[in-house]
Amino acid sequence: MADDSPRHGLTDDEQVYARMEPHDPGQFANHATPLVRNCWYVCARRDEIGRKPLARRLLETDVVMYRTGAGQPVAMRDRCPHRAFPLSKGKLVGDRLICGYHGMEFQPDGLCARLPAISHVPANACVQTFPIADRGPLTWIWMGAPDLADEALIPALDWLGDPAWGTVTGHFHVRADYVGMHENLIDQTHFPFLHPNTVGTPEYARSKLEVSTADNQVVIRRSLENSAPPGVYGNPAKIMHKRVNRSSEARFVSPAAHTAYARITDPAPDPGQPGLYRYNITHVFTPESHNAIHYWWFNSRDYRIDDPQIDRFMLDAHSQAYSEDVEALEWITDVVLNDRAPQQFELSFAPDKPGLMARRILYRLAMAEQGQ
Amino acid sequence: MSARFTDAVILGRRNLTARISEFTLGLADGTALPPARAGSHVELRFGGESGRFLRHYSLVGPLTARTAQEGFWRIAVQREDRRRGSDYIHRHLRPGSRLQISGEMSPFRMAQVGGMAQTEGMTQAGDSVLLVAGGIGITAMLPMLRSCVMRQVPVRMLYAGRSRAEMAFADEVKAMGGDRVTLHDQAALGRRPDLAALLAAQPPGTTAYVCGPPGLIAALGDEARRQGWPPERLRHEIFNAAHRPDDAELTVRTASGREVRVGAGTTILDALEMAGVDTLSDCRRGECGLCVTRLKRAAPIDHRDRYLTTQERAAMDQIAICCSRPKDRLIELDI
Repeated sequence: MADDSPRHGLTDDEQVYARMEPHDPGQFANHATPLVRNCWYVCARRDEIGRKPLARRLLETDVVMYRTGAGQPVAMRDRCPHRAFPLSKGKLVGDRLICGYHGMEFQPDGLCARLPAISHVPANACVQTFPIADRGPLTWIWMGAPDLADEALIPALDWLGDPAWGTVTGHFHVRADYVGMHENLIDQTHFPFLHPNTVGTPEYARSKLEVSTADNQVVIRRSLENSAPPGVYGNPAKIMHKRVNRSSEARFVSPAAHTAYARITDPAPDPGQPGLYRYNITHVFTPESHNAIHYWWFNSRDYRIDDPQIDRFMLDAHSQAYSEDVEALEWITDVVLNDRAPQQFELSFAPDKPGLMARRILYRLAMAEQGQ
Repeated sequence: MSARFTDAVILGRRNLTARISEFTLGLADGTALPPARAGSHVELRFGGESGRFLRHYSLVGPLTARTAQEGFWRIAVQREDRRRGSDYIHRHLRPGSRLQISGEMSPFRMAQVGGMAQTEGMTQAGDSVLLVAGGIGITAMLPMLRSCVMRQVPVRMLYAGRSRAEMAFADEVKAMGGDRVTLHDQAALGRRPDLAALLAAQPPGTTAYVCGPPGLIAALGDEARRQGWPPERLRHEIFNAAHRPDDAELTVRTASGREVRVGAGTTILDALEMAGVDTLSDCRRGECGLCVTRLKRAAPIDHRDRYLTTQERAAMDQIAICCSRPKDRLIELDI
């Protein structure tokens, strides 16, 4: 660790960055790093999975999902072990998925219960299943070593299912890699440039930043007293004329999730109005491949949750901001994959540390799974 | 054929009981092996004086519920008889010995009951697991216990053996499962385990997995039927039936008149493959029927497959060459 003495000529942010561990050389994940598999990822919105088989490619694996008659979610390889017919093109009868090619019938545990071509079902006639679990509006899947699929490891995003919170949500299929997505989400220095009309506020960007890592998470926090509210949060709350106190956190939660919150305190609320406005932002995304992700976002608030005008404003503002991120990441991916002329790019600067720390965690998790 | 196998090396060996030794296997090129799923097997291919051996063993995996990925595979081999695969392993395989291993094979799998049943807001019967291990069958049951413990799936285990001294991994499963594991030392207790009481004590909807001697599997199956367990809630491991202690060497004459010697510890399928004769096979355990071959002349067969019907068996004019054996020393096949 560096010493605590102020460094001459450095801004607050730079001093914080300068104190941050670590400076030792390390490896950082990028689009080519093996995907982290030992992790709960979102496979679908809960209500997408029903009695009609749903096909989705997750971590380079074709998966089919459905619900049993009792409502339990099931996830299995979307590939008959006989001749690779996609099981999602077959039929769900009772709790069994029946292959549309030769009629092999698979139980929710993946074992073949009936093989019409011969009288006896060989024990090796089975299709791989994946641990799967519903949480709030989302359903999570474990594509790694099944022994490690402890449901206690599913990130707690309780506000998504809490009736005290109101949420607007959207999703994208993004032609970019999940590493770049994580780095984008924990990097706030791009806000004024990529999102000039929504979340970019120069005053806040210069406020004091705290960064920490623990338990394979990266957290950045900022706070600012007596400031103008940001439009994206002040407008719906109708407090743009006030001076407020602001704090926020952004967190690399796991390879599957990034959360953020914003808290706005009004020290002198008008009668009947809240003194605290809370916003929780949830980004969950799952690699489809090394260069594509399924991305779902949620913006939740704890005041006037039934106000459709606020919903509309929040949906529009955030759809705008996130589509700017998606567009940027897709442009970047196109360059990274197709521009082959040799020269070292990816210079990094002090404000890139949170992103690099997240990428180092992703790299170490991936390499540990590779036995390295 | 050879693509099914990778060069491997014995990394370590230790004696677990008088007849059971543990072997750890690594890839010869030093790269890490992936963690295996509970209930999976590996096929080993190793040399012998009278041809090669192909044998299946359960992948045991880490011996504690906390061990991170190991990068190697662990098997435990019980010495069964002289001049056969397990005896060869005990006599010849040492750290540094070379052999070939297949990829992971998973014919005996655990349903993902935990992941389904623990779904939020949905407590349903069927989320608990009963594991019954007899003797060397512990090698298939230990990884299932570990998986349940790590995933916090409700589990009970009965591990029975002739005597405590003959029960491999007894301390490990006890440490892993604590009160959830009952060790049954038959010599000390002077009786067989009470399977009726065991099954009756399980919560409704429990899925039971059993691996051990045929007598134990049959007894548990009988008792489960008596108590009205749905058949799909009792799963047992079928050991490869291909090898019996009293098997003798024989000769196969092919359609072209070529004669291929089949060693006592080798299947007809393995011997034909090694001799370069074109064969078709898939499961190699008498279930898929792909290797079934016509005899030129009907002859007495010790049928060990589960594919042929009773009538087909009685006709004695076809044989599942992956596991069944003729009773004569010479057999003529239409291949």
